[in-house]
Amino acid sequence: MSKKARKRGAEVGVGEVLAQEEGAPESQSAAEPEAPAEASYYFLPDAEPLDVDERELHDLMKWWRHGRATRTIWQALSDGYVTVFVVVMLAAMVTNVVIHAQGSMAGCDTTACLTGRLLLPSATVFACYALSLAVGRLFGPVLASAAEGSWLMDAPISRHYLLRGRLVWPLLGSFLIGGLVTALVAALSGLDWLDVGILGAAAGVGAAALMAYAAAEQSSERTLSLKLLQNLSALLAVAILLVVVSIATGWLPVGVVALSPISFALGALAVGMAVLFAVSLRLALRRLDDIRRARLLSGGSLVSGMQGAMFALDFGLIRDILVDRQAIEKGHVRPTRGRGVGLAALVWRDVERLVRNPKPFVGLVLSLVVPYAADALGIVQLKSFVSALALMAVMVPFLGSLRVLTRTGGLARTMPFKTASIRTASMAVPGVLALLWALAAAPAFVGIAGPEESWELGMVSAFCTAAAGLFGGCRWVTAKKVDYAVPMMATQAGAMPPTLIFNIFRGFDVVAVVTAPLILQAGPVWSLGLAFGAFIVVRGTFNLDELKAESEAAQRELQAAKAQAPVQKKKVPRPGAR
Amino acid sequence: MVPMAKKRPVLRVAGLKKSFGPVTIVDGFNLDVFPGEAVALTGRNGTGKSTILRCIVGADRPDAGTVEVDGVTVRETDPRVRRDVATVIDDLDFFPDLSVVEHLDLLARAHGVPDSDDSVDEVLREVQLVPQSGQLPGTLSSGQRRRLALATAFIRPRKLLVLDEPEQRLDTEGVEWLAGRLLAERERGLAIVMASHEPTLVDKVATKVVRLSGVTYEDGDE
Repeated sequence: MSKKARKRGAEVGVGEVLAQEEGAPESQSAAEPEAPAEASYYFLPDAEPLDVDERELHDLMKWWRHGRATRTIWQALSDGYVTVFVVVMLAAMVTNVVIHAQGSMAGCDTTACLTGRLLLPSATVFACYALSLAVGRLFGPVLASAAEGSWLMDAPISRHYLLRGRLVWPLLGSFLIGGLVTALVAALSGLDWLDVGILGAAAGVGAAALMAYAAAEQSSERTLSLKLLQNLSALLAVAILLVVVSIATGWLPVGVVALSPISFALGALAVGMAVLFAVSLRLALRRLDDIRRARLLSGGSLVSGMQGAMFALDFGLIRDILVDRQAIEKGHVRPTRGRGVGLAALVWRDVERLVRNPKPFVGLVLSLVVPYAADALGIVQLKSFVSALALMAVMVPFLGSLRVLTRTGGLARTMPFKTASIRTASMAVPGVLALLWALAAAPAFVGIAGPEESWELGMVSAFCTAAAGLFGGCRWVTAKKVDYAVPMMATQAGAMPPTLIFNIFRGFDVVAVVTAPLILQAGPVWSLGLAFGAFIVVRGTFNLDELKAESEAAQRELQAAKAQAPVQKKKVPRPGAR
Repeated sequence: MVPMAKKRPVLRVAGLKKSFGPVTIVDGFNLDVFPGEAVALTGRNGTGKSTILRCIVGADRPDAGTVEVDGVTVRETDPRVRRDVATVIDDLDFFPDLSVVEHLDLLARAHGVPDSDDSVDEVLREVQLVPQSGQLPGTLSSGQRRRLALATAFIRPRKLLVLDEPEQRLDTEGVEWLAGRLLAERERGLAIVMASHEPTLVDKVATKVVRLSGVTYEDGDE
């Protein structure tokens, strides 16, 4: 549609403009005498449809959307000047930090510094590849909203033009995020700017190429090669990271790794990825018309669900959405017979669940590196805190049962147990795993290079750290939904419901409180006491809501009893009366 | 046979009141349900059927009034109430990684059902979910999810069955089956309270029909 036509459209109405622009048939009919009244709103089955130009349709939609905008982009930016100011400030701060880091890191010439400088950005490159493939597979990467699915996808039009724009954003996003993050890590490591550029290009172009490859595979819904590439990239990233930690801690006695072969290899990788990008993009564009509508819409619904969860900062819900998604993808399992009766059945089901899906064990085992690395690097005071944080993160997948039983009351209501008992049973298997983790991590808390603590105290510290991680994870998964019905809190960002704010710190608070005595070197016995307190809270022994409900019920019963009981008047003798 | 008046009701609701802001949905609602009795709550959308049921199972707290199940004041977290009341209302959740049959197996074992394997097989056949027994809940159709929800109520021991529009998303044959099943449950002495818009179900199962009408606003308008 031409600009002139759009302008006219605003004056005379879109339908009229379209009718005039469609050309011959309508123009001719307008010139002819008025058609008989039989023309109606319905479409005759044998009538020939008009040819639809997808470009015009797209432009029309765009124009409608623009027509509904109430502010220009400049007005929006001027209204959000605080945001713009913050972004500019943050950019300036990051630049300043990078320049300072460049200077200070360049001075460090130990083996750990030199190898870390090279290998850490390389690990980031592969991590970006894995992330790009994971996101691409999860969302589509080409997607459409439910409205577009209902209103546009049904029409006999080529989807190519409508979906082409959808391909641009994931490609651009993966290129920018991959490139910038890796370049930032490389710059902070103290590499020179040429190497920063090479690493950034390898990550950005590679991430975009893999995203394009995921788009090319979307129409055929083949995921095997994508999964393989994703796992391979993740494995490489973790392996390089472990090498960095091993060298830094002195576990792996190697000399300084030479810079030039790695730079050359990464440069070659960037070129290879550029070729892959060109081929995949061409394929993806050709196959846009073949993507099933259901596949397009599932990505769109996932995005809208996650947008809603992000709006409420409900990270638990985001995880739920992803877990549900994985379950739907899996679809079917080989059922196993349960064991035990009563609460034991719940515990056994958790065991069987882990046998069926042992993937979370990888994270649990990897998290053991943290206390050992912290010990080797001499981070004595924060060792417990960072280890507990790592454990908390890897414990979450083991707490799926607790999450489902606490997020709504419905499932817990079907079981004849107290809520606290259900929670305790759901924590049993993760508790055993945390205990094993504590035993495996104990040498790091005693001290490997030279004993920092006695064996007893080291063991108690390891146990407290494991408890902090476990209960932190439990607290995170039992977060309640944001309640917008309660009185709001006044904040700098406007009125906010308290749960919206407190949910952000949920889990981290338990880790901080339980490990605080270890950080402050007040002795692990205090930590043990605090861990027990955290268990009482997480178990829901003193559930404030329940106590309130009990008190309210008691009040109501008392009032009902008072109302039903016959009034007994007590005679009080008057003073002086006989 | 013991006359109704001499029996203790399984469910006793007295003076129930529930408001949402200025809108009073239920006020002064009383109900006694005896063993072998089925009460159907009917009425237009928004007249408080689901609200009453949610208060009965303890999912919502009433503003006034009492709800007792077998002489015990209802609290959602009370294990006695959880043991005696089987519910099918809209807030039932499922484990995303447990299959259909594993859900039923877990519930049967949690309630200590003897011969749980046989019971699970029987219920699974009855709700016609045998072909879907290995499927994860996320892949079930809405009707199949409804059947699974009903199965979770039938697999476990119960004294009172609370159902909120159990016919929802069931096909015609499914509604027929449900009516027959509930009738059999009632005749075996189970107390049932349900909200329903389905005349077939109400006519066949209910011994008492309570028709709810209207909500009250703060200014007294109805």
